[in-house]
Amino acid sequence: MAEQSVQATGPVATATLIGHEAAELAFLETAAAHRMPHAWLLSGPRGIGKMTLAYRMARCLLSRGVAGGDLFGGPGSLQMPPESDLFRRILAGGHGDLRLIERIVNPTTKKLRTEIAVDQIRGLSRFFSLTGAEGGWRIAIIDGAEEMNPNAANALLKLLEEPPEHCLLLLVSHGPGRLLPTIRSRCRQLILRPLKEADAIAVLAQQLPDLDQHECLGLVRLAEGSPGRAVAMAAEGGLQTYGELLALVGDLPELDYAAVHALGDRLARANNEGAYRVWVDLLRLWLSRLARGGAGLDQMSDAVTGEVALASRLTMAVGLDRWVELWEKIGALAMRAERVNLDRKQVVLNVFMALQSTARH
Amino acid sequence: MQLTIERSAFLRALGHVQNVVERRNTIPILSNVQLVANEAGLSLTATDLDLAIVETVACEVRRPGGTTAPAHVLHDIVRKLPDGAQIELDYGAEAGRLVVRAARSKFALSCLPREDFPVMADGDLPYHFVLPAADLRRLIEKTRFAISTEETRYYLNGIYLHAPEDAPVLRGVATDGHRLAHIEISLPEGAGGMPGVIMPRKAALEVHKLIEDGEGVIEIALSDSKIRFSLGDIVLTSKLIDGTFPDYQRVIPSGNDKLMEVDCKSFAAAVDRVATISSEKSRAVKLTVNGSTVVLSANSPEQGSGTDEVPVNFNGEGVLEIGFNARYLLDITGQIDGENACFDLSDGASPTIVRDAADPGALYVLMPMRV
Repeated sequence: MAEQSVQATGPVATATLIGHEAAELAFLETAAAHRMPHAWLLSGPRGIGKMTLAYRMARCLLSRGVAGGDLFGGPGSLQMPPESDLFRRILAGGHGDLRLIERIVNPTTKKLRTEIAVDQIRGLSRFFSLTGAEGGWRIAIIDGAEEMNPNAANALLKLLEEPPEHCLLLLVSHGPGRLLPTIRSRCRQLILRPLKEADAIAVLAQQLPDLDQHECLGLVRLAEGSPGRAVAMAAEGGLQTYGELLALVGDLPELDYAAVHALGDRLARANNEGAYRVWVDLLRLWLSRLARGGAGLDQMSDAVTGEVALASRLTMAVGLDRWVELWEKIGALAMRAERVNLDRKQVVLNVFMALQSTARH
Repeated sequence: MQLTIERSAFLRALGHVQNVVERRNTIPILSNVQLVANEAGLSLTATDLDLAIVETVACEVRRPGGTTAPAHVLHDIVRKLPDGAQIELDYGAEAGRLVVRAARSKFALSCLPREDFPVMADGDLPYHFVLPAADLRRLIEKTRFAISTEETRYYLNGIYLHAPEDAPVLRGVATDGHRLAHIEISLPEGAGGMPGVIMPRKAALEVHKLIEDGEGVIEIALSDSKIRFSLGDIVLTSKLIDGTFPDYQRVIPSGNDKLMEVDCKSFAAAVDRVATISSEKSRAVKLTVNGSTVVLSANSPEQGSGTDEVPVNFNGEGVLEIGFNARYLLDITGQIDGENACFDLSDGASPTIVRDAADPGALYVLMPMRV
């Protein structure tokens, strides 16, 4: 009997977490010592598993509460089988002691809000003012905590200042610098790092089992240790676009202007805004990889065949500072183009001309 | 799951449980009602994660089992079926669908798995007692108007239910800081020594809907984190407010010796008339008690002024002036079933006690307004 279950994906449906053993251990040790703070701030780049970790922490606390025994006496792991009752209920959103706060669709305009509104945080204080549904912890996860507007942040501060007993706030943020310092200082911080290449490949292979090994490696290298970004890139055909980009700039300072015009025409089409964005992002990513590789900050390895050779040729010919300058310039140009709605083809042509003039020096 | 059920019984049960299902839900499973068939019949469960309601209906079960289906849709379908119809529910014949059949109508509703449905764990509920539904109804009806809606003082967003040590009564108290309602009913057996709990507004209103006709008895079971009401085949379990109710005894004045007794109906009507003129925002009405009459007056800079007079029995000396919010006065007089209302006054700036002359178990406290 195949029931039409909620086909949820993403962190709430992910049972395993790879590469954050140290952070998990820190949480487990705190739990075992009965010194659970009232709030944790999980920070780090996008797509590395912050939300997955938050859900794992929540499941761990909620399950011990149900068992009724010693809250933290269990084995030292946050692992929980996805077929367990609790896992399923959390996946379906049907757990009375767990709330998720994230940007929601505005009911009047039907558009995703650009920020977390104060009503959502007020709803949270209502939730915390009631006793638990299953008798243990009451947990709230705030995804994208830096997206709270000032009123929401102040409302949250009130909760953080007088936390009710057995309540836990898990703040997840990829820009903790944008949070109020008073919020940051009231949370125990866990800084998550980008994944090691092998770990990231393992995660990506789990998420997209159909991907071939070569592609997998390329995506992971481009995504710089963030499997989430690698998955997004795979969906947008990022690796292929990156290959095309490298082919275009492969002979710098020489350029195939026919190809550049063709690219400009393609990206300027009305329905190609998404592809244009991906393209600009990848170009900047390429320049930053090139600059960082040249400076010896990262051990650069080929995401696409020939990348390292090209990078070393270009950085030998022209000083690094020029490439960094160009990276900045293209960023500013892209932003300006977005703001005043410049013709996308002109932006593309401009970018290539700037590339050429930098490479000529 | 396969069963046949009588339409009116099913509709009544669905009507009860679908009340708690919110119309707009972002979480799909919360718009569903859980249906479980076993020897006891068909039990329906709905929840909004703060409270859960379960009702069991007798029916002819051919194959036990369970699933969850959209509550409002199911309710609408059953409502539109002809009266007296026999409804057949079948889950399992069509993959992932609940088939609803009656006469020539057939519906197949998409379902969500039962395992995903929220659990409202009762845990251990050590205190049990049974009381007449009419008593509980009176307690809720006479206190609910005073429940605060201000969320910063969340511990006032409910009815404080407790068995005080000084008297053999079960007492419900609600306040919003401006007025307070204090209702006592006789102590049911087993309620002595129960912890004081704050029953959230929503739970109070839902229970009230179930006992509106006020017949029979209701069983209450509670712990310091849950309360459960059982009324025949219906069981409602709710979370409680996790906070400490303020020491309300401190705000009930004890030295108010100036007593004013007034006919409640004519007093309320006069307050209502005079309040027409008082300004939209403050709604202030001034009471001037002088010997055998009370003069009610209101004035607003924009609209003018108005007065009215009601005869009273007053045991105080001289003239006493005091102002009240007209809406609060009307709320309280609306709770008084007896003929006369008694006001225990002290002076124009002190809280006043309002009592029902015919009901010693009801007491209200009202803060004055400066007028």
